[in-house]
Amino acid sequence: MTEKTTDYRGKPVFTTGEAAEVCQVSQQTIIRCFDSGRLRGFRVPGSRFRRIPRDELLRFMRENDIPLTRLEGGKRRVLVVDDDQQIVELFVDVLEADGRFEIRTASTGYDAGVITEQFRPELMILDYMLPDVNGNVVCQTVRQNPDLNGTKIIIVSGVVNQDEIEDLLSAGADDFVKKPFNIEKLVDRIAELLEIA
Amino acid sequence: MAQVPAQARRIELILQQIESLPTLPGIAMRLLQLTTDDDSDTNQVVELIRSDQALSVKVLALCRAADFGVRGNEVDIDRAVVMLGFDAVRNAVLSIKVMESFAEAEVDAAPDDGAARFDRPAFWRHCLAVAIAAELIAARHSHLRDLKPADAFMCGLLHDLGKLALDYALPRSYLRVIELTEKTHGNIAEIERDVLDLDHHTAGKRLAERWQLPHVIQDAMWLHGVPFESLPDLPHRRLIGLIGLADLLVRRQHIGYSGNHDLDESLIERATALGLDADEVESVVAETHEELRRRSEAMGLSDQPTTRLMLESIMQANSVLGRLNQDLQHKRQLAGSQSQALDVIGRFHRRASEPGRSVQDVLAEAVRSAGEVFGPGFYAIIHQPTDDPNWVVSRYHHSGRLINSRMMEPPPHSPSLAQLIDADQLSVDTMGVLPWLHDVLADHNDIRRIRLLPITEAWGTASVMLHDRTALPKPRLLAALTRSWGAAIAAAAKHEGARRLGERLAETNRIVAQSQQTLTRSKSLARLGEMASGAAHEMNNPLAVISGRAQLLAATLEQGSKARESAELIFEQSQRLSDLISALRLFAEPPKPNIQDVNVTAVIERAVHFVQQRAPDAPAIRVSVSPAMPPLHADAEQLASALGEVVLNAVQSGGTSPVELSIHVDPLKGRWNFNVKDDGVGMDARTLEHAFDPFFSAQPAGRQPGLGLARARRLVECMGGDIELRSTQGQGSTAIVTMPFIGADTLGQGPIRIRSGSDQEEKGEERAARSQSIR
Repeated sequence: MTEKTTDYRGKPVFTTGEAAEVCQVSQQTIIRCFDSGRLRGFRVPGSRFRRIPRDELLRFMRENDIPLTRLEGGKRRVLVVDDDQQIVELFVDVLEADGRFEIRTASTGYDAGVITEQFRPELMILDYMLPDVNGNVVCQTVRQNPDLNGTKIIIVSGVVNQDEIEDLLSAGADDFVKKPFNIEKLVDRIAELLEIA
Repeated sequence: MAQVPAQARRIELILQQIESLPTLPGIAMRLLQLTTDDDSDTNQVVELIRSDQALSVKVLALCRAADFGVRGNEVDIDRAVVMLGFDAVRNAVLSIKVMESFAEAEVDAAPDDGAARFDRPAFWRHCLAVAIAAELIAARHSHLRDLKPADAFMCGLLHDLGKLALDYALPRSYLRVIELTEKTHGNIAEIERDVLDLDHHTAGKRLAERWQLPHVIQDAMWLHGVPFESLPDLPHRRLIGLIGLADLLVRRQHIGYSGNHDLDESLIERATALGLDADEVESVVAETHEELRRRSEAMGLSDQPTTRLMLESIMQANSVLGRLNQDLQHKRQLAGSQSQALDVIGRFHRRASEPGRSVQDVLAEAVRSAGEVFGPGFYAIIHQPTDDPNWVVSRYHHSGRLINSRMMEPPPHSPSLAQLIDADQLSVDTMGVLPWLHDVLADHNDIRRIRLLPITEAWGTASVMLHDRTALPKPRLLAALTRSWGAAIAAAAKHEGARRLGERLAETNRIVAQSQQTLTRSKSLARLGEMASGAAHEMNNPLAVISGRAQLLAATLEQGSKARESAELIFEQSQRLSDLISALRLFAEPPKPNIQDVNVTAVIERAVHFVQQRAPDAPAIRVSVSPAMPPLHADAEQLASALGEVVLNAVQSGGTSPVELSIHVDPLKGRWNFNVKDDGVGMDARTLEHAFDPFFSAQPAGRQPGLGLARARRLVECMGGDIELRSTQGQGSTAIVTMPFIGADTLGQGPIRIRSGSDQEEKGEERAARSQSIR
């Protein structure tokens, strides 16, 4: 872990050398893939320099089963949204105890929106009943943003109604968890959704 | 009853004897003829009386006694006739001649043993007193034109002639009558009927008829014992009443001998009933005594038994009287048939107005009544109930017994029965075109002989009587009959309608009460739902914190340590509390059942599995399912869950034998029955009443309270089913879960369908045929 100093988290465009480092392959391999079209990108106007957008690189790495660790950093970004401070703290304690997650919190739908723009969470733990908007509205907003294409959403609620759960899942939620919850099961589910199990 | 002919013969014999009495002498008859003829000449009358010297003397004596301003012998007959008028002279002559007739007959009839006997002088004194009293009362009511003093006198004098006739015809038997009367102090007429089967009223009537006495006298003799209110409506009704009144007055005064000791009647009441002045009537008494004294002397009644005096009297009515007589006879016949019809109508009303009589009952009574009047024969009734296009056609025995009855749909566009009757176009021809009428009349040999008798009704109902009788009562009488029937039928229809309305009202009330109960329950369920929703949100957050913190804590504690166990327990219990909140919410707002065709066996297996999970130590459950079950229309999971709760409740009831779960189909009621039977502790009334309440438990402590049965009922009801609990304390309980053939989601959306297990695909026709047979 010490050899690597560069933080590629949040970097939007990569050179072939950077991509080779992220993927732990030679630059020559990257260039070959770029030229054959397997790794798509563009050339800097007026030059021959190849550039690769982040999302395209991510797709390439997944396709070829290359670990994402170097691109994403060591920890996965999780946003916890709940108006009950005790609940928020519980989630933070649970996820921090696990150690694999970088955590931000929000107590309203509005806060959640603002933080999402900067933080680009890979997973959201979203309380269904928020003071300003309901979980399904947040869900839809996230899904309409192409930049948040890969963000996973877990809805958490004390009220369980099968019909509402169906609505939430069709609005773009990935899972539903009822309060109170079993910590172990919840963490397992998060890891599963983030493919770090 | 065998004695009736003998009795009738005996009466005939007596009457023959009476009729063998001598007729009135010619002179009396001639006189009657003259005095009743307005055109007759005074001279003729005078000549007639003069022709009989003895009569002349007696007439003059009577005239003097009557004191009509005639004094001494200086007055002769023609003067007397002019002064007194025909009527008075006629009365005098009649009195004399009648008495003479009987006096002659008496000669060999008088017994000489000194025992009780018919005291003729006393009898005549009574008659004379009644005549005088009646005459005086009539004279004091001169404004009442139907009370002529002369007529009153004559009727009074002769009213009891029947007694004389009976004594003449049957002297020994009549002595017995007298003896009994004196002994019992009863009414002589009753004793006459007991001993002779014939009273002096009837005997008098027959005698009067034979002698062709004027009608008014005939009726006075016949009817003077009848209470005024019961007298037939005759022109001289009041006169006859007056004779009865005078008779009572005289008897009260103990004048003469009448044989009637019945004095209970009130003179004043009788006088008032007659429209007479009671004071005037009472004031007559003193005058009657005085008048009687004078006249008795004149007729020789005071000293010597004057029967001789009467010897040759009595007369005959003229042809006018004869015609009048015939007239009366006719009227009496009419009255007779009217009273028969009245009897029939009376009987009909008595039977038809018994409580609880339906329209059909009343129709039957109308036929029975018709049978009584028209006689035996064919009878049927077509009846159209109010607001019903159909006609009810019923055939009856003439006794009113129903032979058959059917509901008929009249041909399209035919007018209603009421319209047919109103339009007066009712005939066998018009009815004959109706095809069904032939069916009804099929067993009658000649349809052309059937007659139609419309029964007039009010309020929209209508009936027609069909019969084959030819001899019908007179139109007016017939109209009275049909109107009576019609009124009773209409009344019964109204009553039936009112009763139906009442029943419907009661049923509606019951339904309203039921829905109110349901509404109250669903209202409280809705409130519970809201509460449970709020509770789920408000309670699950702190529970999540408790549970989450307990889990985190447990992870830091040493495996197997007491502290870790406690932390784990906190987690478990918070989970349980959360489950309860969820269950409560599910109870209040259960998810919509997903109704499908499901296999019963599968449902049972799931239910049993549910029980085994919740009560792993439970004894075996005995399941019996009748073979060839059709698929069940339900939400499999919810039904299994509901059945599971019910079975679990039975399993936990503390019984010793295995719980029995039996399933069968009730095709008549169109539902499934799941019976769950245990032999546990059973339930008392209070427990039964609250068994379905959430969190209710029979035991104050101990057994875990919950939503079990409450939830089961909720689930079953949401699928259109029901749960019923029956229990006897100490003898176990039975829960009956019923499920309709069709699910709640398809309720009322079409005919019920049952398919056998193998025959899933049916052709449309077969399905239609089946559903029809089930409906």
